[in-house]
Amino acid sequence: METPRPTSQSDFLVNKKRIRVFGLSFDDAIKIFFGGNAVVSIIVLALITYFLFQEGIGFFGQNHRNLLTYRQAGLEYVDFIRTQESGHIALTRYLSDLRLRQYNHYIAEQKMSPAAANEALAKFDEFAAQYGDAVEPIRGMVSDLTEQATAIKTKFLIAEDKKTERQQLLVAGKIDEAAAVKIEAVDFAAELHLLTGILPVYKQTSAEFAKKLDAALAVAPKLSTPELMVRLDRFNQLTHDYLATFPATARSLETWDYTRAVPWYQAISAFLFGREWLTASFWQDWYGIVPLLMGSVMVSLVALVIAVPLGVGAAIYINQIASAQEQRIIKPSIEFISAFPSVVLGFFGIAVLGQSLRWLSQQSWLAWVPGFPFSERLNILTAGCLLALIAVPTIFTLAEDALQNVPKAFKEASFALGATRLQTIIKIVVPASLSGIISAVLLGLGRVIGETMVVLLCAGNRIAIPDFTAGLAVVTQPVHTMTGIIAQEMGEVVRGSIHYRALFVVGIVLFFLSLGINFIAQKIVRKYRISIG
Amino acid sequence: MDIKSPFTTPASGRSIPVTPAPVGPTLIDIDHVDFFYGASQALHDINLKIEEKKVTAFIGPSGCGKSTLLRCLNRMNDLIDGTRVANGQIKIRGIDIYDRSVDVIELRKRVGMVFQKSNPFPKSIYENITYGLRLQGRSSKSDLDAVVEKSLRGAALWDEVKDRLHTSGLGLSGGQQQRLCIARAIAVEPEVILMDEPCSALDPIATVKVEELIQELRTKFTIVIVTHNMQQAARCSDKTAFFYMGKLIEFADTRAIFMNPANAQTEAYVSGRFG
Repeated sequence: METPRPTSQSDFLVNKKRIRVFGLSFDDAIKIFFGGNAVVSIIVLALITYFLFQEGIGFFGQNHRNLLTYRQAGLEYVDFIRTQESGHIALTRYLSDLRLRQYNHYIAEQKMSPAAANEALAKFDEFAAQYGDAVEPIRGMVSDLTEQATAIKTKFLIAEDKKTERQQLLVAGKIDEAAAVKIEAVDFAAELHLLTGILPVYKQTSAEFAKKLDAALAVAPKLSTPELMVRLDRFNQLTHDYLATFPATARSLETWDYTRAVPWYQAISAFLFGREWLTASFWQDWYGIVPLLMGSVMVSLVALVIAVPLGVGAAIYINQIASAQEQRIIKPSIEFISAFPSVVLGFFGIAVLGQSLRWLSQQSWLAWVPGFPFSERLNILTAGCLLALIAVPTIFTLAEDALQNVPKAFKEASFALGATRLQTIIKIVVPASLSGIISAVLLGLGRVIGETMVVLLCAGNRIAIPDFTAGLAVVTQPVHTMTGIIAQEMGEVVRGSIHYRALFVVGIVLFFLSLGINFIAQKIVRKYRISIG
Repeated sequence: MDIKSPFTTPASGRSIPVTPAPVGPTLIDIDHVDFFYGASQALHDINLKIEEKKVTAFIGPSGCGKSTLLRCLNRMNDLIDGTRVANGQIKIRGIDIYDRSVDVIELRKRVGMVFQKSNPFPKSIYENITYGLRLQGRSSKSDLDAVVEKSLRGAALWDEVKDRLHTSGLGLSGGQQQRLCIARAIAVEPEVILMDEPCSALDPIATVKVEELIQELRTKFTIVIVTHNMQQAARCSDKTAFFYMGKLIEFADTRAIFMNPANAQTEAYVSGRFG
């Protein structure tokens, strides 16, 4: 008798069709495939973050050396006097503005011919010339000192280069050649002696300069209207304030010491709070993010001011008021805007929008608008308008979702209590979806602040902090942005240079900004989900 | 066949006597109404007179049109695209509410509504109750305070929430939320309160509370209640209308409908043989 085979009763649960490859069943393979995709995206994100930091972090060391060189080579010393000189330049600019106003007054109000107006201004011109020329000795001094300091810096940089060269040769094992590289050590004390030696001369020159300015002010002619006289008085006041800074300058020069260490944190604070972004300069490079940050923030603000009412308003209309027919037309149209490549929008901004805005600003009936007329067609306003176009679809879609999520029961209850459609929208629907709308706006902001092409083409690319004293007219000034500067300069910089690394740090700041905005938006959305229950 | 009397319920354990009510004055006169959702007809030639200060129950199987008729009474169906009352009239105190001259906002203030699922606004209890008043422009604090207390007492909720009027209405239990919605509805002092299956999402204890509340409210308001629960209709209502397939099959005193229905379909439904 054969032994009975195991009956089907004992193995009916065993899957006989199971195929295994490398010990993995089909289900396992699917799981690994999808899980793998998720892991890849996380790895990519981690790698991006890692390289961003890896490239960027070296900036602070380099910037510290940069600042140290600035001090050791005496550039800082010269800049004390240069600041004094540029203060004077600002004052003479004020003076020429004053002259222009007086001239316009003569032409427009007193109907003088241009020749007669210039004639009448002869005395003023004399005064302005006397005032302007007073600075010449100081200016000469600055330019001499600039040459000397530049020479020291160049010498130092050459020595540094040689050091690097020798290091590289040593690493390559070419010891003889390395020994042949001559390094001229820079004796800062001796070199700087030339600079600091000028102090007594400076003091004398500066005192004479002050005297000349005082003398010039004394002969300032009267101007023809009270309003202009007020301006002249203001000018007097500004000059006095300016003169009052002279002793401080002298003191800075006296106490200056090239051996004083540059604290490490200055490498960071000079970046985060630096008001100048100046690269490839013959004098001194500055990497301060403030003008770029301000540019980005201003452009984004203008974009939001335009896009929020448009996007949220359209969302409310579509979700609450529009008929099904209108929904079918409007919704895809708005969402279609995001299909435009941003470079096309930028092109449109230059060719059409900037041009039309400038034309509009020069119409006399719009002269009351702050900042009108303006001559720069590429400015914060132009870029902001275009960015608004980019933000509208984002804000619209997300805000509409938020409105859609408001339970219908709320609306019904409101209507049943005798509310009109408008009352229901304002008092029930919008408050109930407010956090969703806010996060829609924040995500729109995130979209806008990271946008590159439009701002690069349309923001005007002038690296300067916008002049907020102009009030609302500030939006007609050109700016540069964080995204724009990276796109513009990254292609030209030497890999590993301080400039290259500075751009990476700008990228890091941008990264954290977007991260923060998205984080807050998500927090708000989560809170909102809970509150609706 | 032994039909168990629906007038005694295990849920409340008490019996509520329903005396045959004398015929009162008609408040709402539904006159030969046909109603359409787009092309499909939901109501066929409905004739019904709802009496003042009475509780009228609409019963019938799902899809029979009872909720649709209820929502016609304060024109809530206007909010749904493609709906229309094709023939007939609905008159409240002799005024055709579908007439062009009628202000639907004013109508809804007079005809309040409580929904199947409790739907307090995501606001405080106080704000929920004063919402309708503020819409009418009433904003004096003492006035609002008084109405809030009166309405909450009217909805038998005052003692439970008086110490937390300014906390969210969504923090209340299901039964409390539904009573809050009733308080919100009575705060604007309507004449009629429409209730669309107000207890279907509540547990038995909360249901008893709302039913007791309905008994109290009938002295001041005319109530129309849609319900799936026949015992509830039997317990709470004075008059009952039975609908089937969009038609009004029978309308009579509640006692008559449940004890001695004239129509065979009605009898089959109330005795639980179909529906």
